[in-house]
Order: sequence, then C-alpha cells, then structure tokens
Amino acid sequence: MRHSLQARLLALVLGLVTAVWLGAALMTWRDARHELDELLDGHLTQAAALLVVQQTGELEEEEHVDAPSLHKYAPRVAFQVFHEGRLVLHSAQAGVTPMAGIGSGFATVRLEDGMEWRVFAARGAQRDVQIYVGEQTASRRAILRAVLRSVLWPLLIALPLLALAGWWAVRHGLRPLHQLSQALARRRPDALEPVALVDLPAEMEPLVRALNDLLERISHMLDAERRFTADAAHELRTPIAAIRAQAQVALGAGEDAAGRRHALQATLAGCDRAAHLVEQLLTLARLEAAPAQPALALDLSELARRVLAELAPTALARRQQLALEVAGPCRVAGQELLLAVLLRNLVDNALRYSPDGATVRVSVSTQGGQAVLVVEDSGPGLAPADLQRLGERFYRPPGQTQSGSGLGWSIVRRIAQVSGARIELGRSPPLGGLAVTVRWPQAAAD
Amino acid sequence: MRILLAEDDPMLGDGLRAGLRQQGFQVDWVRDGLAAERELASGVYAAGVLDLGLPLKDGLDVLAQLRERGTATPVLVLTARDAVPERIRGLDLGADDYVLKPVDLHELGARLRALVRRADGRVQDSLRWGEVVLEPSARQVSRAGAPVALSMREFDLLHALMRSAGRVLTREQLEQQLYSWGHEVESNAIEVHVHHLRRKLPPELIQTVRGVGYTVPREREPN
Repeated sequence: MRHSLQARLLALVLGLVTAVWLGAALMTWRDARHELDELLDGHLTQAAALLVVQQTGELEEEEHVDAPSLHKYAPRVAFQVFHEGRLVLHSAQAGVTPMAGIGSGFATVRLEDGMEWRVFAARGAQRDVQIYVGEQTASRRAILRAVLRSVLWPLLIALPLLALAGWWAVRHGLRPLHQLSQALARRRPDALEPVALVDLPAEMEPLVRALNDLLERISHMLDAERRFTADAAHELRTPIAAIRAQAQVALGAGEDAAGRRHALQATLAGCDRAAHLVEQLLTLARLEAAPAQPALALDLSELARRVLAELAPTALARRQQLALEVAGPCRVAGQELLLAVLLRNLVDNALRYSPDGATVRVSVSTQGGQAVLVVEDSGPGLAPADLQRLGERFYRPPGQTQSGSGLGWSIVRRIAQVSGARIELGRSPPLGGLAVTVRWPQAAAD
Repeated sequence: MRILLAEDDPMLGDGLRAGLRQQGFQVDWVRDGLAAERELASGVYAAGVLDLGLPLKDGLDVLAQLRERGTATPVLVLTARDAVPERIRGLDLGADDYVLKPVDLHELGARLRALVRRADGRVQDSLRWGEVVLEPSARQVSRAGAPVALSMREFDLLHALMRSAGRVLTREQLEQQLYSWGHEVESNAIEVHVHHLRRKLPPELIQTVRGVGYTVPREREPN
C-alpha cells in the first residue's frame, strides 16, 4: 500500500492511545492486586483472630463440627481448628490434614483438591489451638480479572470510535495539504507562477516556499531554453537564407559562368557554415544537458599538439603562423573530448578572427601547481566592452567579416566551468592581439 | 532602380546583391547600421533592404531615425526576427514591408518594385507613354506592341525618366540612379544613352531642358 500521511498519523495516535491505556490498565491491575492482597490478607488474619478468640471460650468438649456453606463464595474459603493436634472444627471445604505447617503466618499452598490456597495460620496464645484460615487464590484472580475487564472494556469500545474521530480530525487537519495538492494538480503544465502564501499553516510555509523557489528556478530555466531556441532558430535562418540566395543566383546566372561558379562556391561554404553552426549547437546542448563526468588525468601538451595538427591546414591556407610552445608533459584532470573541443574552439577563434598572415601562438605550461594554456594572436584584439559580452550565446563582436556561429565562447566557458578551469581574457603583450588564458588545478602525477 | 542593401552577413549580403543585380537592380551594399542610415538619408535610392541585427546601430533604430528626419525612401525589412510584436513594431516604426529570411530573390525583387510603385503613387506595374510601354518586372519596353531591344543602362535611364514623368532630372540625379558604387561613369554617358533611346523610341519621348537635364513630359490628356 502507498505510504499515507493520514494513515500514519492515525496509526500513531491510535497506537499511542492504546499503549497509554494498556499501561494504565497494567498499573491499575498491579495496584488493585496489591490492595486486594492486603485487604483479603487482612480479612484472613481477622477471621483467624476471631476463631482464636472464640476457641478460648468454647471447645471444652471435643466437638467435630462442619461449618455449613452459607454463601456462594463459601466453597472458596475454608478454615480448620486443631486442638492439641486434633482437628476440632473445620469448614465444609477444608480437608482433614492441616492446610499448612505449625506456627503462624501466611503461606500459599496447593492442597489436595488441586487448587492454590492462600492460608493464614494462627496459634492460640494460651491453649494449644492451631487455626488455619484459607482462601482460594483463584477467587482473588477473579476479582482482579473483573477489575481489569472494567478497565479494558471501555478501551475496546472506545478504540473504533477514537479511530473514527481521529480519522476525521487528521483529515480535517491535513486539509490545507489536500487543497494545495488539488491546486497544483489543476495547474496547466506551463503555469509556473508562485503558489499564494496567504492562509497557510505555519508548518506548510517552508514547503510552499521551497516549492515556489523551485518553480521560479524552473521558470528561469525554461525562459533561458526558449530564448536559446529562438536564438538558435534565428541564427540558423541567416545561413539558410544565404544558401538559398546563392543557389538562386547560381540558377539565374545564365551566361555568367564566373558568377555562377562564385555563387555555387558560396552555396557550399554556406552549407559548411550551417553544418558548423548545427554542430556547435549540438555540442552546447550536450554540454548543458550532461552533468559532469569523472575526470581523468591527461596530458594537455599532447592534446594541444593533436588539435593544432588538425587546424594547421586552415592556418596554412591563410598563410597564418600557428605555433605551439610546450615545456613538457602537463597533466590536468578532465575529459579528453571536452578539452579537445575547448582547445579547438579557442584556436579556431584565434585563426578565424585574425587577418591573413597573422600569428597564433598556443603555449602549455605549469605555473605554481596550475596547468596553464595560453592562446594568443596578432589579430585586432577586442575592446573591453566586447570582451565583457564574449560568451553570451550568439554574440558576435561587430565588424566581423568571418562567418561564425557566435557559440564558440559559450562552449568554451561551459567546458571550463565543467572542468574546474578559470578563463582570463586580455591583450597579448608580445603579439598585440587577444590573449586567452585558461588555468586548471593540476592533476596529481601518476 | 538603385537599391541600398544593409546586411552584415557576408555570404547572405553577397547572394542578395548578386540576385538583385540579376533582376536589373543597381545594388549598393553596406554592412552596418550607421552606414545604412547615412546612405538611405541621401535620397538617391529608390528603396532600401534593411536587416535588423546590424552592428553599430540596430536596424529598427535606423528606421526610426530615418522616419523622424522625414526620409520617405521605402524600406523593406528583411530579418530573421519573426515574433509578431517585432513585426508590428517594425511596421509601426516606418517599415514599408517586413520579410522573413530566407526569402525568394524574385519575390524580394517583386516586393521592392511594388514598394517603389506605391511610393510613386501608381497602381500598375507598367509605365505608359503614348504607345510606349515599359514593364519593370520583365524589364521590357515595347512600342505599339512591338518589343524594343534596350541595353541595361538604356532601360534604367528610361525607367528613371518615366517614373518621374513631368519632372526634370539633372544629369547628376540620373547618374546617381543608374550607377551603383564602383562603376566608373564617363562624363558623356547619359548623353550617349539618351541619344540611343531617341533613335529606338519616339524622339519626343525624352526632351532636353537645356542647361538643366532631361524629362519625359506628362502624357497629354486624351482628347
């Protein structure tokens, strides 16, 4: 069965009530037994004393009397009077053998009738009279059981009534919770406005506050997603419009072979660009969706060498100098795939936005326990205001002649965040262009 | 017709320029908002194609500024921003048309011709003077139903004069309307084209106003 707060509360309340009641019954029983024992023992001594007193006057003659049974309780009480060792008087219930030993005091014995008896023995002070007064312990137990019954019966009757009342009370008490859940269930899936805090019980306010916080965070996230989707669609429209326009120009070129060739080349370039944009979008989407995965120690120098080798043809085509400076192996903790994407984006940006013949320098080193990657170029650099806006999705600094997605920086920033790196932007002193510095805490050497 | 294209994307701008040129438009291309505002304010363009996400100055700001200063040049907004409020804002700020990317180049051409036609106060695409009919969309001129072969410049010159029938256009104005940037204009080019047009069409169509320029006289009311 499902876990129900109502059932739990009810069970707790009823359980506690029962336990308290049973505890009370137990104490009543113990108390009653004690008092009953004292009272009845008192009666036994009283009866014995009476018999002793009676025996001092009478019984000159030896007389064998059976006391008659006078009451329904009579079979449960018995007495014996011995005079000089001979049984002179006894009740109907009592046997002929002494119920207990010689002397005086209480004893609990099992007699020949198989029952347990509480026996008080008393001795006459002046004459040799031994008196036994007994009472079946079963009768005491019967009284105790009656007391216990009178305590427990009401519980049995009250428990279902209590359960009913408790069920109603709990249900009534939990009504705000019920109302909240109904209000939430009635909501449209996109209704993310906060739940009203008025008329809430104090216990529920933290819950509703936390819920509102969550709703607000979700709302922000959804807004960001919507904005991203809109931006992404917007950004895809431009390359698609370019492809369409160029293809149409190629179709309409007629005799103009050079014009057609140019338009077709532009169409292809447009396709590459759209593909690049889609790839960047996917990378970003994957990065944002996937939580951080376990980082492995890897050699940043080696990774940089591989990425630069991939990008070298692009640089050569524009007569750009691409240089790598490494001091030796440089261990960082990270995911190879992600760090490669970060490196590729940084170097690709530097190449893309530097003029033909420019220099792009990548250096990997270890400084004060940190792995440091610097990508710098001899391009135009960026104004401080534009540096600030880098990393906003789709932001492209003004005056770009190169086509780009405007997503590279978002990707770089996200990867840095995931791999625990810090990024600094500035002007490269030796080359004059943009310098990007990425610092990782260094992984322990293995 | 000379058109100003304001588009910051190199590949799209290049395609639009080439496509509009194929349809006989003279196209000048600027890549930022400030240049777009400056050029459109000059008044030499029959119409403008304006992207909204321009660097330096947003297209909508450019538009608002132009309209505030009273520039009446028809402007077609070409953008990837498709939200309805954006479109309404664009139109309210003075855009004459609002077109979403991607766009068919022929449709873009037709929309530009329609904008110019409306700005000229005409309801028909074709221009008529006596038995001479000029169809801007087909770039054809006929005389009494028979097609007349004209060069590109001759057509543009006749188109400019017939659009402004009844007004005198100076040589500078005509040169501005005929030549986009990067075309060397020879000093007597307009005279040469007028000379050719007069040979192919009724000589009284284009009249010289000595010392001022040329005009196509308003058609006489039919008797």
